[in-house]
Amino acid sequence: MSELTTAHFLFLSAALFIIGMVGVLTRRNVLIIFMCVELMLNAVNVTFIGFAWEQNALTGQIFALFVIAVAAAEAVIGLGIVMALSRRLDTVDIDEVRQLRE
Amino acid sequence: MAIEVLIFYLLAGVAIAAAAGVVLARNPVHSAVSLVLSFINVAAIYVVLRAEFLAVAQIIVYTGAIIVLVLFVLMLVQQQDLPEFHGGRPLRRAVGFLLGLALLAEVAAAILTRSLRGAPGSWTPEAVAAVGGNIQAIGRELYSAYMLPIQATALLLLAATIGALFLARPELVEERLAVARRLFTISLAHPRGVDTLQPVAELPAPQDGQLKPAGGDRSLVMARTAEEFTEQPAWGESRR
Repeated sequence: MSELTTAHFLFLSAALFIIGMVGVLTRRNVLIIFMCVELMLNAVNVTFIGFAWEQNALTGQIFALFVIAVAAAEAVIGLGIVMALSRRLDTVDIDEVRQLRE
Repeated sequence: MAIEVLIFYLLAGVAIAAAAGVVLARNPVHSAVSLVLSFINVAAIYVVLRAEFLAVAQIIVYTGAIIVLVLFVLMLVQQQDLPEFHGGRPLRRAVGFLLGLALLAEVAAAILTRSLRGAPGSWTPEAVAAVGGNIQAIGRELYSAYMLPIQATALLLLAATIGALFLARPELVEERLAVARRLFTISLAHPRGVDTLQPVAELPAPQDGQLKPAGGDRSLVMARTAEEFTEQPAWGESRR
């Protein structure tokens, strides 16, 4: 392919999303899982903006803006939960947190 | 091969390698630095995609705010030496990689066979340039067609702030006592022993103000007053 197509960006987005997903599935540190979730949100933004570029529309960019705002809110709440977790259970290992399961 | 394709491959390669670094790094701080690298490369790709405002927003919000928050939390929480990625749980790791590869194959098939394409919109590069640039175009679109969502976003950010304040507030004595009552038997330093069934002579010597009852699985915490009890590190050691 000698010029940029939407498929380039879709493949990049898929790769980033799946790397984030593998991280969420395999890591145990809550903070790393949180970073991987951010990576996945970012990959979705690449898709939105890639489609906006293809379609000559701004809707995708505006949705990406909303995703960034939601990611900021999610970061604040997620890190607050991590803080409360480490204070109460003294751990950031996700396997130790099983109060709901037992 | 056009120069912008080469630039795209460079940026995408670094972004993907840095994303892999987030997952593979042993030290959480290295993961955070890899995440910054990935975000900055993705921001550069936004510029290639004519989304200049989002590139700037990405750098300010993600690498400016979120990563600083992550690093602060990394500093505040107690870090243990987790066996983590490089040791243990091989089954989970294999399942994670297999699921990832399967999803990658599916998405690749979907991308390569994509046939549905929507009608092109009206914001061609010339139209965007006519209103003064990307930021002006986004502003026009955002504050006309997306008035209600942007106000809902404001509400969401307010709720997130209040939630963060609630989660990060200092722990109350009553909450600590409520958790402790579930986990421990609290004896306010009974002078004659702890239990009528157990003679005083058979009580083991208290260690660090705590002793185990002979048959029960609940630890016993000795304290003269409730305040003295709440000052003890009551949990943590019982969970480990």
